[in-house]
Amino acid sequence: MDIGTLLSYPWEIMMPEFIILIAATGLSLTDLFLPSRVNRRIFGWISAAAVLAALISLLTQAGSEPAQILHNTYRLDSFSISFKALLLFGTLLVLLISTSYLARSDVEEQGEWYYLFLAALLGAMMMASSADLITLFVGLELLAIASYILTGIRKKSAESNEAAMKYAINGGIATAVTLFGFSYLYGLSGSTNLGDISREISALSADHGHALTVAAFIITFVGLSFKLATVPFHMWAPDIYQGSPLPVMAFLSVVSKTAGFIILFRVMLSIFPTVQGFQPDESLYQSVMIFVSIAAGLTMIIGNILALRQNNIKRLFAYSSIAHAGYLLVPFVAFSQMMFESTWFYLLAYVFMNLGALAVLHIIISENQSAHISGFAGLYQRSPVLTVCMTIFLLSLAGIPGTAGFMGKLHIFIGALFADPSRYVLVSVMLVTTVVSYIYYFSIMLHMYMRPPKRYTKITWPIGATLTIALCVAGTLLLGIFPGAALQFLQEYFWFNDMFTLN
Amino acid sequence: MCDKLLPYAWLIPVFPFVSFIMLLAFRHRLQAYSSYIGSALTGLSLVAAIVVWVTGWSVQSVQHTGVWLAFESVELQMGTWITPLNLVMLNIVAFISVCVHIYSHTYMKDERRRSTYFAWLGLFTAAMLGLCLSPNLLQFYMCWELVGLGSFLLIGFHFEEDKAKAAAKKAFIMTRIGDIGLLAGLILLYWQTGSLQFTDIYTVISSGELEAFHVTLISLLIFAGAVGKSGQLPLHTWLPDAMEGPTPVSALIHAATMVAAGVYLVAVLHPLFMASDTALTVVAVTGGVTATVAAVIAIAQTDIKRILAYSTISQLGYMMLALGSAALAAGVFHLMTHAFFKALLFLTAGVVIHHFKTRNIHQMGHAFSELRFTGMTFLIGTLAISGFPLFSGFFSKEAVLSAVWHDERYLLFSLALLTTFLTAFYMFRLFFIVFMGQGKPTSGPKKALSMALRLPIAALSVPAIGAGFLYTPWFSAFGNWITQWQTAQIDPGHEVPWWMMPSAIMCSLAGIMLAWVMYQKLRVPLRELPYLHAFTLRGFYMDELYHYTIKQPLQFMSTTTVYIEKFVVETVMESSSSFVKWVGKYGARLQSGQVQTYGAVGFVGLSILVFILFWTGGYF
Repeated sequence: MDIGTLLSYPWEIMMPEFIILIAATGLSLTDLFLPSRVNRRIFGWISAAAVLAALISLLTQAGSEPAQILHNTYRLDSFSISFKALLLFGTLLVLLISTSYLARSDVEEQGEWYYLFLAALLGAMMMASSADLITLFVGLELLAIASYILTGIRKKSAESNEAAMKYAINGGIATAVTLFGFSYLYGLSGSTNLGDISREISALSADHGHALTVAAFIITFVGLSFKLATVPFHMWAPDIYQGSPLPVMAFLSVVSKTAGFIILFRVMLSIFPTVQGFQPDESLYQSVMIFVSIAAGLTMIIGNILALRQNNIKRLFAYSSIAHAGYLLVPFVAFSQMMFESTWFYLLAYVFMNLGALAVLHIIISENQSAHISGFAGLYQRSPVLTVCMTIFLLSLAGIPGTAGFMGKLHIFIGALFADPSRYVLVSVMLVTTVVSYIYYFSIMLHMYMRPPKRYTKITWPIGATLTIALCVAGTLLLGIFPGAALQFLQEYFWFNDMFTLN
Repeated sequence: MCDKLLPYAWLIPVFPFVSFIMLLAFRHRLQAYSSYIGSALTGLSLVAAIVVWVTGWSVQSVQHTGVWLAFESVELQMGTWITPLNLVMLNIVAFISVCVHIYSHTYMKDERRRSTYFAWLGLFTAAMLGLCLSPNLLQFYMCWELVGLGSFLLIGFHFEEDKAKAAAKKAFIMTRIGDIGLLAGLILLYWQTGSLQFTDIYTVISSGELEAFHVTLISLLIFAGAVGKSGQLPLHTWLPDAMEGPTPVSALIHAATMVAAGVYLVAVLHPLFMASDTALTVVAVTGGVTATVAAVIAIAQTDIKRILAYSTISQLGYMMLALGSAALAAGVFHLMTHAFFKALLFLTAGVVIHHFKTRNIHQMGHAFSELRFTGMTFLIGTLAISGFPLFSGFFSKEAVLSAVWHDERYLLFSLALLTTFLTAFYMFRLFFIVFMGQGKPTSGPKKALSMALRLPIAALSVPAIGAGFLYTPWFSAFGNWITQWQTAQIDPGHEVPWWMMPSAIMCSLAGIMLAWVMYQKLRVPLRELPYLHAFTLRGFYMDELYHYTIKQPLQFMSTTTVYIEKFVVETVMESSSSFVKWVGKYGARLQSGQVQTYGAVGFVGLSILVFILFWTGGYF
């Protein structure tokens, strides 16, 4: 590649990534040269501003034609723009929570904190735009390694260290499995480009390497399930969420999970829909979906039932996030016209309701210095406004009408029922487990409204968390009452089928 | 006229909703005015409901909807729907809600969280009115859940009491069990008919395109939702416990409106149920059995509100029985009269409870001399529910009985007749013990009832006496009005065999007599009236006789049903919930904190998947 080709690329399509990269590099250099006595609080607002700028520059790209640069390894299409918006928005909220968190925590490396988040975000964004296994993997690892460090960033806390250790080991196992799956893909096609792989694999005859294609699918799926925290790689989540600082937990449960769905969609949907399945008239994707649906069903069941017994609120939310990942697999299984829309909408709703709830959680945990559920006792007497906000988030997570969570679930239901074939078994599992989830969400409400508080001190509202809560309440309610607005925006600017027009 | 005003029918639920928002947002500032705001806004919605009723009298079915959400090919709509059935429901709900708001002004005067209470009342009223106006099942379902939420919040209003908390939870969870059925039925219905719009559903059903199996399955699933909400067997146990809520709440939610929502659901989907004989039979049998069993249980209760709660369950059973006997008009008619007289009974019971500071009827007595107005109005309610001739309950029960007779379900008919007897018996037992019984006169100074308490009670007494004349064997316009729009069929009316009315009257009078003899006459102590020695001696025998022939068997039946409820019904509930807990417990144990385990689970999972895959894919 000569310099001329390099310069001829339309680099502006990577604008949001550049903004994040520059901010991360700038902050890390500043951190290096800035005397240690200088407070790094401003870093939080700078990085939030950078994320916001990236988000704005991303939104200006909405509606543009699909384009690829760097030898077809980097791709901008409707899928990448819309899902990158979720990543950026989620990270923005996490950074806002971080500013409140760091003000009261024992984390010494406050500068590192922020540029590690930005690096992780950059990795996630690369995953959204990759059209090549190599860049995908680099993005995946950038996200993963930054997350490992962030998990253990409270160096003096044994809990945090243990979590980081476990996360790194489990992450290593999952990465190995993923790479193993990728190696099959490469071996079968001789290329790392998703478009080429798809073409090559489709051309294979059924008796020639078919078994290996199936193996590639299933091994890759299992490896990626680590990022999603779904069965069978779900067990790390509660331990790591519990041990990591709350904003990191928020990042893992929302942004990192979104990134997991992005890579899942990108790899699986780019490669497999055109490959012939077990029967001549179905695609491989359809043939193996039964296994993914088993994994999805198990994930919903395990997440919701184990959440019932948790007294530690962070663990409870960890299981709840496993359950939500299970719901999110349903549209992937259904493979209907509405698949992207349902997933995007649910993830957006999840950003609002889960990050809102976690921001409240942050306030409660830092008030009580403990993550026990009894910290919520009598919250209604202490701060009715905070209680109402938390109630809205919990109702939304439980999927009660009038909230974003309900609309998201409804969309998934309808998509799955109208899919061909109709996935009603999976939908009924989702319904039943949703009802089970009421028990633990409502038990939090029980504590807030019906138990006497331990003390009556006023609750302080740190600015970052307050902003997040306000945004999330507004988002949860607006999406719940006028879901049409968000969906219309999606339908107007994005045409998801352009994902399949790889060249 | 009507085409000008009807598009604004959506305003009806908006007024109470505004009250809810205002009172919740400015909870502390509006504390003192909360009852006025709540009553005024609900009053406005009653006015609006009456206006719509008057202008929409002749309307068969008018919809005003807008698109709320559009998926690929699916359009979900929100809006209003005016039919005779809705008009009846709307006016009942708005009227009783206004009564309860005004009544609560005095009743909840000393409550610290008054504005929260009125806010929840507003939320409930808005949701219930929205439910009645729903043109499609989706909006219906949303309001249905919101109504449940309102009920949950109000039952648990005194959340500092453990019993109230437990009752609120129980009510919510028990009704949810039915709701799963409803939701499943709703989805199936959508799948089969391609629409959730009531009018579209009618069209599809009348065209006969649906398979019989699907019609039965869907109607049974939907009926499960109605069973939960309307406290029918076996999901009725939450309703007596729900009496932990404030008494005006019991009058509004757990007597007149929300529990009737299940009946309304069956009524509005009546063409669906009519298309399946199995479904009708299930509805009728559930209703009939519930009516009798609840009446038997009511006899053994000593808590005034629980007696009324069981009586509500029993009367709701009547309504279901009527609907299951293919008599829409009779069911809805009984719903209407029941709403009036049961709300009346609850509101007067509230005054009694306040007076005696207890809910145990054996600690009451002599109330009639002290509470003349309350006693009179309670008597009106009691006569109405007992089916005393010419009171409202008489005519509606008559309509139900004749419908069951016409439907040729004679066993259910005899159950219904037995229930008439039992109802009269337990209600007058209550009346005699509380109002005529011995008891210490309460020591406190006599206070005249405030206007805010008298007014709603008086307002409810009027329809409790007179509403029955709307639909009598010799005047059936109401029946035609309520049925014709739905299926274009004329209500068969209830032409009754000559012996029907006398025998119903006999049953009800026999119940009253028995209660009088047992609880009024025979409790007279010997020493006060020595000259009636012989009589009381005889009475002694009779007491024994009653004890062994009537009271004991009844008590035995009552205990048996209680035990069935306790051991059979609750065991099923318990075991399913403990199974979930068990899985949770052992599942959590696997989560040992060992990284090795986690990795191993991942690998085992992967190997199993690969193994099954290759096996089913035929590679081995």
